[in-house]
Parts: sequence; structure tokens; C-alpha cells
Amino acid sequence: MEHIDAALIANKDLNPTVWSAIEKGAEEIFISNVHSMHYVLAGTDQPVKVTVEDSTGMYTCSYLENAEVRIKGNVGWYAGDNMVSGKLIVEKNTGCNVGAYIVGGDLVVYGSTGTRVGYGMKGGRIVIGGSAERWAGQMAMGGELIVLGTLGPGAGESMYQGKIFTRDPEAESKLGGNVAYSDITDEEAAELDTVFAEYGFEAQGKQFHVIRPFLDAAGKHTYTLFRPILEPEKAAKRRGK
Amino acid sequence: MAKITNPEKGTWSNQVISEIQYKAENGKYRIRGCASPRKVPNFDDLMILPGQLTRMPIDTYREPCQTRTVLGPAAEAPLVIETPVMIAGMSFGALSKNAKIALAKATSLVGTVISNGEGGCLPEELENSYRQSIQILASRMGFHKDLLFKADMLEILFGIGAKPGLAGHLMGAKITEEISKIRQIPAGIDLHSHPRSGDSFGADDLVVKIEQLREMLHKKTDGHTPPIFAKIAAARVREDIKIAVKAGFDGVILDGCTAGTGAAPVMAADHLGIPIMPAAVQAVQTLEEIGAKDRVSLIISGGIKDGADLAKALAIGADAVAIGTAAMVAMGCCVCMNCQSGQCAFGIGTQVPELVQKLDIDEAAHKVANYIKAMTEEAILLAKAAGKTKLCNLEREDLRSMTLESCAMTGIPLAGSDFVFGHGFGFLAGAEL
Repeated sequence: MEHIDAALIANKDLNPTVWSAIEKGAEEIFISNVHSMHYVLAGTDQPVKVTVEDSTGMYTCSYLENAEVRIKGNVGWYAGDNMVSGKLIVEKNTGCNVGAYIVGGDLVVYGSTGTRVGYGMKGGRIVIGGSAERWAGQMAMGGELIVLGTLGPGAGESMYQGKIFTRDPEAESKLGGNVAYSDITDEEAAELDTVFAEYGFEAQGKQFHVIRPFLDAAGKHTYTLFRPILEPEKAAKRRGK
Repeated sequence: MAKITNPEKGTWSNQVISEIQYKAENGKYRIRGCASPRKVPNFDDLMILPGQLTRMPIDTYREPCQTRTVLGPAAEAPLVIETPVMIAGMSFGALSKNAKIALAKATSLVGTVISNGEGGCLPEELENSYRQSIQILASRMGFHKDLLFKADMLEILFGIGAKPGLAGHLMGAKITEEISKIRQIPAGIDLHSHPRSGDSFGADDLVVKIEQLREMLHKKTDGHTPPIFAKIAAARVREDIKIAVKAGFDGVILDGCTAGTGAAPVMAADHLGIPIMPAAVQAVQTLEEIGAKDRVSLIISGGIKDGADLAKALAIGADAVAIGTAAMVAMGCCVCMNCQSGQCAFGIGTQVPELVQKLDIDEAAHKVANYIKAMTEEAILLAKAAGKTKLCNLEREDLRSMTLESCAMTGIPLAGSDFVFGHGFGFLAGAEL
């Protein structure tokens, strides 16, 4: 295993150092003393296994492709944004907007995550072992977001496609606009069980419900910019008559 | 008693009445295609001073005038185009496939660049374009990492002039199965895109994001990183330009409030943003103020229609202009302002197969190329009359304002008195020349 000590490397030189090691044939790399540098391993696209000893900053593993990365600490905002394939595993917690625009691959966080996890995600799978803050899966266009802990309000706001799996008992009261809360199918539960077994989570697929996009009767997304006009009876009730 | 016939209605024009009736009937605001019809100060309010005894004109028909333009000079691989006129970002979705291919082909005929717009980049567009600009939009619809490495120029989009603060509107009539597949959204929905990027929420994030993008592009392009532009709508221009420069952009595309669109709420098109002429002045002043004018390029758009607009834009200090509606008109668009319906009879702003087939790709490409060639020649004519052997040598001293309003907005002296109202734009404010 190749060992890179980031303590002696400037932020801008870290990724080129890693890529150079990969070009020289390294298949497994251990990086120490990263100390929250930004865009660590972003743009890495070779089939390599990388372990980062401590925490990383913003844009960790942006545009990641083919590689398997394990971060043993926390990661900052936008980790795994635009990720194409491979794996990004975070052992602790993350900041906001993790997995934004992810296209493929697995992004697994054993701790909790901030707001807008999976924002605009188009594919791939994001698993959050802890809680996910407000607007999880906002405007998703595909993929699967699995949250084992609690959800914040506005879950799935304006999703176009994709699914959010939740076992938060209060999830139904935390939905965003244009989504529906439904039971999980046997097939989906079995798929979740496979994921939990692979990543060592103690959970069962059948404990989960699914948040899916919901279109109105005309097949349109509905947007509320202003309180809609009430039916005459409801309007009368509002006036107290 | 005799009724008043055809009374002057003041505020209550037929258009205002029609808007109120539409809202009363439908309980929602109107969506309209094309650009805002309202009159705003524009480049027609400026005149170019020809060379006479103080400087000699250049022979229009016999002496050369350089038009080659370099955009993003500080980038590893600056973009070089043969005319300072580019095709603005218009999506496959808003436009038909035939229209997109025709525009791309036109760029090869005149040696310029086309921007893909929202919703991905058609392989046919990439294949036929002379140079390709790829937009990174907040929605990321149709976007894939690989597109970054095929780009001759990148645009991170923060706003569009026709509906700044909002984002793309694509009405259900245009979201066919093909568009739905590319954009990864259900067919037939009315699409309201994201106005804010999910992978950068502020100026400081942007600094890091641009560094990251550059590092990845440097590696994947063997040190030929294309210029990265910020596309912004004209609003708080001074502050926005400073932030764009701080973030490390190689250039800014500034889109004025009369820019075109496939669909926008009428209120947004008519009441958001500022016109491109004063916005361009503010942008140039800011770039000069912070010492970035030579390394950060400025492209302006939003109602550019002819060689005079081009020449005046360059004289103000822009490096190039982008055209959208004008290119559509060159293909046959009659500005019916109904693009949102998806029923364009000319095959330009539609996805209906029978209508799309009405647009002959090669014929449309030639018309757009002819138009760009002719407008470039118009600008050359004006530049030579002003004594310039390069289009980029046009300067603000070659301009005069025709109205008090344009003088106060731009700081360019008023024709005749040569008095400078407003802030002065390299001229002494509040004084005659």
C-alpha cells in the first residue's frame, strides 16, 4: 500500500500526487494528515482504493469515477457532488448538499448529514446511517436515497424521479411538495436488505416506507406561490360564519 | 348622449386589460415566449464618431480590419474565434433539434462558438460546431462529466436576462419522450428549473469549486484547460463582477433584461433586471477598477441585433456579443412571442415532428452564417469609419450619447454639448470634454 503524508503537501498538490502514484501502479493508497483540505480526490477516475485517515473539507471526491474511497473522519459540504461511479464511504458525519447531482455509484455515510443531501441526484445510491436534515433529495431526477435516521422537513421537495427510503415514524408529516408517502414493495425491501448487508447496517428493508414523486391528476407538478383560493364553504368557515 | 369613441385609456391599455382578464380567468400569471416588448434604453441611443480631420478613416473596401477575438486570455487554452459574435445558450427543448444543428453548422461557416444551453448537448451539435461552449447549470439536466472535456469554453450559469432570479421554464408541450429521456424528467410536465446551484451556495464555495474544476480539467486536457465563464443576468453588476473575478472566472457573460427566452413569466421578463447598455458600462468600469480588464473577458447579450450594436458594445469595452433571438429571426422566426406553446410554425421553437421538418437545416445554417457575416461587416464598416484597423480597437471615446438618459446611464458625453452627466465613464463627470 502506498502511503502519502499530506502534512507536507499543499492542497493544490495533493490530488496530482495521488494521480501520479496511481499512474505508477499504486492500487491501494493511504493518505494521512489531510486536515480538512478541500476537493480531496476530486476528479479521480481510476480503479484504485484510497483510505483517508482523518477529515476532509468541501468537494471531497467531486466527479469521482471508478475509485473506492473511505474517509475515516468527517467530510465538509458537497462531498461526492457529480459523482459518476465507484464508492465514497464516510465513517463519520458530513456537511450539507452531499451527493448533489450524483449520477452513479454508492455514497455511504455512517453518521448524519446536513441539508439537501442528494440534491438534484440523477442516479446512484446514497445511504445515510444517521439523520438527514431538511430537504433531503430535493429536485432529484433519479437514484435512491436511503436514510436510516430521522428526516428533516421538506423531504423530497419537487422530486422529478427517484426514491427516498425512510423509517422515520414521522416522515409522512415532513414531506415536501410534489411527493407521496407509500409502502415499500417486497422487491424494494429485499434490495435494501442487500445494501444493509453489504455495508453492515442493522436494519431491515421492511421497516421502511418510500417517498416518491407525485404528479397531480393532470400529470403536472404543482407549485404553490400563494395560498390557493378556497372553496366558498371553506372561505365562509375562515370568516367564522 | 354620444359615447366617447376610442378613448385614451392611459394606464389601462389594451395589453394591461388583456393581462388582467387572463389572470382573472385562469388564476395564474401568463407565460410568454421571446423577449420583453417593453422599450428600454439601448445601443440605438449612442452614435459612433467617424474619423475626419482629427483622425483618418480606414478605407472600407480596400484596407483590412482584424476581427479575430480571443476570449479568456488568462486560461491555459484561450478560445479564439474569427468574429466577436457567438451564439447564445438556447436549449434543445426550447429549440428543435433541426434548429440546434443549424445553429451549430452556422458557427462552422463563420468560425465562432455556440453555447449548448440547458438540457444537455446533442451529439449533432458537438459534431457540427466550430467551437463549443458547455453550460453548467443549476439543474444539471442532460449534463455529464464527459461534456466538460469536450468543451472549448465553459459557462457556469447563475442567471439569464429574460428571467433573472428564476431559471429555465419548459412547458409540457415541448417535453417529448426524447427530451424527457435526456433531461431525466417525466414527459409532459411543465418544467421549472433550479435557479440556484446545488454544489455552490456562495462566493467562497465558488472559489474552491473553480479551483477543483480547473485541476480536473488540467489533468484531463493535458494542460489545455478552456476558459471558464460566469453567465450572469444584469442586476447588481458591480458587485457581481467583483465576485466573479474573485472566484477566478476567466470571463463573464452578462445578459441584459431584453434577452430572449423560450418561455418566461411576463412579469419576470418585463420587470426583472436592467438593460444591457448601462450594465455593460458598469461591468467594464468594474473590471478596470479592479485591474482585471485585460485578463477577464466580457461577453454581452440581450437584444443585440446588428453590426451597430456590436460595434458600440466593443467600443464600450465588451470583447464579444452573444446573439439568440436575432439568430432565430435569421432562421425564419417572426417573433410571434408564442414560443412557450411549442407550436412554432417555422420549426424552430417546437418539438412537433411535422413542424420540426419544416426547418431545412442547411438552409437555416446558411442564413444564420450570412447574418453573422453581414453584421460583422457592418461593425467593420463602422470601425473603419472611426479609423480602426481592428474591431477591438473601438473605444468609448468614439461614442456620443443621443439622449440625456443614455448619457446619464453610461457616462458617455452628450452629442453636441459634449457634457457628461452621470458618473463619467473615463470622462470627467459633470463637465464638458
